[in-house]
Amino acid sequence: MQGNSQQQAYDRGITIFSPDGRLYQVEYAREAVKRGTASVGVRTPDGVVFAASRSVRSPLMERDSVEKIHKADGHVGIASAGHVADARKLIDVARQRAQVEHLRYDQPVSVETLTKAVTDHIQEYTQTGGARPFGVALLVGGVDEDGQPRLFETDPSGTPYEWQAVAIGGKRGDIQSYLEEHYREELDLDGGVDLAIRALASVSDDPITADDVDVATVDVESGQYRSVPKEERERHVAEIDEEETDE
Amino acid sequence: MSEPLDAPYDPELGSLEAHYDAEDEAVNKTGTTTVGITAEDGVVIATDMRASLGGRFVSNKNVQKVEQIHPTAALTLVGSVGGAQSFIRSLRAEAQLYETRRGETMNIPALATLAGNFARGGPFFAINPILGGVDEEGSHVYSIDPAGGVMEDDYTVTGSGMALAHGALEAEWEEGLSMDEARTLAARAVKSAVERDTGSGNGVYIAEVTADGVDIQGYKDFDDVL
Repeated sequence: MQGNSQQQAYDRGITIFSPDGRLYQVEYAREAVKRGTASVGVRTPDGVVFAASRSVRSPLMERDSVEKIHKADGHVGIASAGHVADARKLIDVARQRAQVEHLRYDQPVSVETLTKAVTDHIQEYTQTGGARPFGVALLVGGVDEDGQPRLFETDPSGTPYEWQAVAIGGKRGDIQSYLEEHYREELDLDGGVDLAIRALASVSDDPITADDVDVATVDVESGQYRSVPKEERERHVAEIDEEETDE
Repeated sequence: MSEPLDAPYDPELGSLEAHYDAEDEAVNKTGTTTVGITAEDGVVIATDMRASLGGRFVSNKNVQKVEQIHPTAALTLVGSVGGAQSFIRSLRAEAQLYETRRGETMNIPALATLAGNFARGGPFFAINPILGGVDEEGSHVYSIDPAGGVMEDDYTVTGSGMALAHGALEAEWEEGLSMDEARTLAARAVKSAVERDTGSGNGVYIAEVTADGVDIQGYKDFDDVL
């Protein structure tokens, strides 16, 4: 009886190691990410693209109130998968950290530095008593001052990873396979938007509509975050639909 | 919190202390003439070698008033010696930490902004240094005032002998100086001040900052540089 309750203690309350070296709370947080709708990031030589599935549970709900992609600073965007509320807290950490860089050094924060500030914050919640890990994964992407586009992923353990193209959230594995098959290094920005939407569409049971996806870019030329408007999303979605009808 | 989100003007290492009384007679001041000049391939900084008490007594005749604070930047000590030394230690540590954390060196405008923040918020009372450095954009010279004012220029002078040194520089500085020409000009400007300003004297230190690094040499006799 006592042995049983001790075993259970490894996945309750605070994050502590199990005898075989696992952090169950962090693993459960990863499960929470899988329950969220997917987000995709694609890095091209012309900039970084984010696309996120938006699931609206009722036609009466305002679509724009489902926030999946956020502007962190003029040159950095962040897409999330998992708990939106947890994502909002991390995005505010990123927004503040980006402004600290302006105050301290009068320069825009690099995407890598910003990502690592966020992952260091996430990590603290895997080691602090009484804290719960963040149930969210993020894609942090943007263009550095030297014109280089960068794309990073954060996970609930607080580990940063850099990617050319990546998916987080539900059906991540299938979307990642799609990206691995179709990603090309010489994609232009428009091609990146196309790939990101197609990757999300590849795992969707119903044909995808412009309302189902949120898309944003940070392009090298302007170095600025831009939310892709509905007309442009419709153009991409229409192309995908046409091809599917042809087949 | 590992990142100072609430205290953007504080150092990442430690914290800034309260202000001291800068008017104490026992506080060593540099008096000083320090000159910073941009050249085609770098920056030349020249400083005199005198420290004084109340501007009336020469308390040290062999002070190095220019120090490396970054792989390709140097800062002069002007004003209270203790304040300037502490300022240099702080900036050097911050530049080092920035580099090890990010794998690249701080650029010079960022270093100047940081120096301005520290001068404004910190215990480094009564300092008025010159920051000179080289980065991907080229050569930079900044003057930093005690209230944290940061101003970039092609050449600048701070310290009690500034008016005299400026006179020498104003007529002779031009765009595209070689490092040797800049070195001669900087030494000549300090010499002009040393001749007439009681707070400056006893020789000259010259720092040459290029993309390769910082080289600092001291000369008791101006004839060795001119």
